[in-house]
Amino acid sequence: MRRDLRGALLLLLTAAVQSSSMSAPGKPVLLSCRSPEKETFTCWWEPGSDGGLPTTHHLYYERERLEGTYECPDYLSAGRNSCFFDKNHTSIWVDYYLTVMASNALGNATSDPFKMDVMEIVKPDAPGNVTLRVEEREASPCLHVRWMPPSNTDTKSGWVTIKYELRVKKDNSNNWKEYTSGTQTHFSLYSVSPGGVYTVQVRCLLDHGSWSEWSNTTFVKISNYLQNERPLSMLISILSAILFIMAGLILIAKRKSVKQWVLPPVPGPKIRGINSQLLQSGGSDDVGNVLIIKQSFPPIYFVWEDQMEDYLIVTENEDWLSSNSQKRKKSLIPACFHFDSEIHSKESPCHQNDWEKDEEISQVDNNNKPFTNTGYVDFQRNVENVDVKHVDYSRVKEVKSDNIIFLEKEKVQSSGYIHFQRQEGIPEDYSRVKEVESDHLVVLQKQNAADLSCKDEGNHYTDCALHKPRKPHVCTELSDSGYVDTIPAPPLM
Amino acid sequence: MPGTIRSVSLVWVVLLVCLSSRRTSVGAAPICTNGQVGCHVLSLDNLFDRVIQHSARMHGISSDLHSEFEQYFLPSKNQIGRVGRICHTSTIITPNGKENAQRMAREQLTEVILKLLIAWRDPLWHFHQSMAHHHDFNNFSSNKALEMNDMVHELRQGVEKVAEKMQVLGIISNSVTSLASPEVLLPSDSADWRLMKDYDLLYCFRRDSNKVQNYLKILKCRIVPNHGC
Repeated sequence: MRRDLRGALLLLLTAAVQSSSMSAPGKPVLLSCRSPEKETFTCWWEPGSDGGLPTTHHLYYERERLEGTYECPDYLSAGRNSCFFDKNHTSIWVDYYLTVMASNALGNATSDPFKMDVMEIVKPDAPGNVTLRVEEREASPCLHVRWMPPSNTDTKSGWVTIKYELRVKKDNSNNWKEYTSGTQTHFSLYSVSPGGVYTVQVRCLLDHGSWSEWSNTTFVKISNYLQNERPLSMLISILSAILFIMAGLILIAKRKSVKQWVLPPVPGPKIRGINSQLLQSGGSDDVGNVLIIKQSFPPIYFVWEDQMEDYLIVTENEDWLSSNSQKRKKSLIPACFHFDSEIHSKESPCHQNDWEKDEEISQVDNNNKPFTNTGYVDFQRNVENVDVKHVDYSRVKEVKSDNIIFLEKEKVQSSGYIHFQRQEGIPEDYSRVKEVESDHLVVLQKQNAADLSCKDEGNHYTDCALHKPRKPHVCTELSDSGYVDTIPAPPLM
Repeated sequence: MPGTIRSVSLVWVVLLVCLSSRRTSVGAAPICTNGQVGCHVLSLDNLFDRVIQHSARMHGISSDLHSEFEQYFLPSKNQIGRVGRICHTSTIITPNGKENAQRMAREQLTEVILKLLIAWRDPLWHFHQSMAHHHDFNNFSSNKALEMNDMVHELRQGVEKVAEKMQVLGIISNSVTSLASPEVLLPSDSADWRLMKDYDLLYCFRRDSNKVQNYLKILKCRIVPNHGC
């Protein structure tokens, strides 16, 4: 009994086990539908469990504006678990309601309805026949890409407008660079460099649909042919850059001389010896005073030194003079002139005070001191303002006694200024002319050193000069001013 | 003095009048009709390109708005069986595929396009009004609705110009009735579009704008085929 019970239980169990593997099929699921050219479309589903029994699937659809339920026209063309709707069965802009039914011996299972409109499921095939061509140009190579539109797409009738996109990557990197090609089936890449392997892919889009898959990869290697030319051009450019920099540095270092060369200073007008500032500051009287030459033999003349080789200005003070022994070019004078001589470096200021001071000094000196050195200031005859006295020379013919001089008849014209040649160590004496007999006879005044006093006649200078003992055998030169200058000469007798 | 002032002001007034009269069409040069002087003559090819671009843009905007609505309102997709969505333009017979569109006569096709455009004039206007009053939608959506409304208007004018030009050139016969009296084309027995919900309205318009775009392209490539086809 027990045995029978156990056997029955076992049978029941096995029967139960066997019967659970066979069941109605599971529910299939519609995955997606796709139209590659907006004229046909295909739908795919995923079957559920088959329940251990052979299961068949059927797709049924209903359509907007169409009565009835219809079955899929073509299960085979698109592969397993698919349904292909050809042109006759495809209507755009209408809703389709699809369901898939799985059935086996034990039952059926129906998927959820799937609503779609062909307008929404457009996704083209990938473009085909992608070819790459390398064009080797001088500067840089360029890559030409060509492809064909997907074979099943009709782009000629205007039904769909196709757009392309391509992407490029270099060597094995994962960085793709994308480019849009519009409606053209070719594209040129210029940013390629030699010595690399480039991989290109293309995809397309219809109207407002979805992008296709990327095409098969095509790659090309660009050869390395441009390496030689680079270093030479680089070398040349580096050398020229160095040259430019050096030239620039030299210019900067010598910018002053360059500036002088480019823009030479314009010389302004200048009269030597005249300080334009002082001229402006001083009154016109002073200028006039300065320019006038005193009638009496003057200790002080005014100097225009530019034509003088040798000129002196007189000072009564020895110490003053001793400071410049050889070249007494110091200006005593006066008011508004100052030296601008080459020999004299120091500029002495001209003040009114100096003038007076000098007068003072010279007056004092005249009374007391004999002149050791004499000289006089020359002036240039050419100046208009100056009241120039013409100086003529007469040559001494014969000296009769110590106070009579015979002159030659003809007068010797002077060059226009009183030229004074200094010779070292030769004292100069002046003798006063007592009387001029005829035009060739001059009588000199005999003098003693004690007799003659340095009178202040307003001509300081010359009176004192007479203190000097007159030496015989001296030649004299006659001058208009009445004084005879002495020049050492070989004795007449 | 007052005489010169008056003359100057008169000149200004005349100038203003001239300028305002010239500014009838914004943007592009006015298209000539029946031998106007001084306007820009466009070829049929150009005209077609313009309206096709316009229709493409209009369809793009309607798609955007529709997807936005889908996000907000998530209409239930769990209805089994046919959903009774009926667009108010469903009474207009339209070719449902490429072959049908190519087989249709040019005049018929032009008329279909115009019927569609005219049928959408009022619904879009009201849709825009309701969008403006609803505070759920942001300004972006509201602007798109307004733009859509304007574009339908402009596109219809453009297509009318194209049809006129084709008639002038003798490409199509003068049997296009929509040009004469547009009100005839309004569907009389269709479901009232006022009953349509906003989402359905957008769905229908998205479909119809796509139709218009495709029909125009087919028409162009039949009449003026060139590399753009």
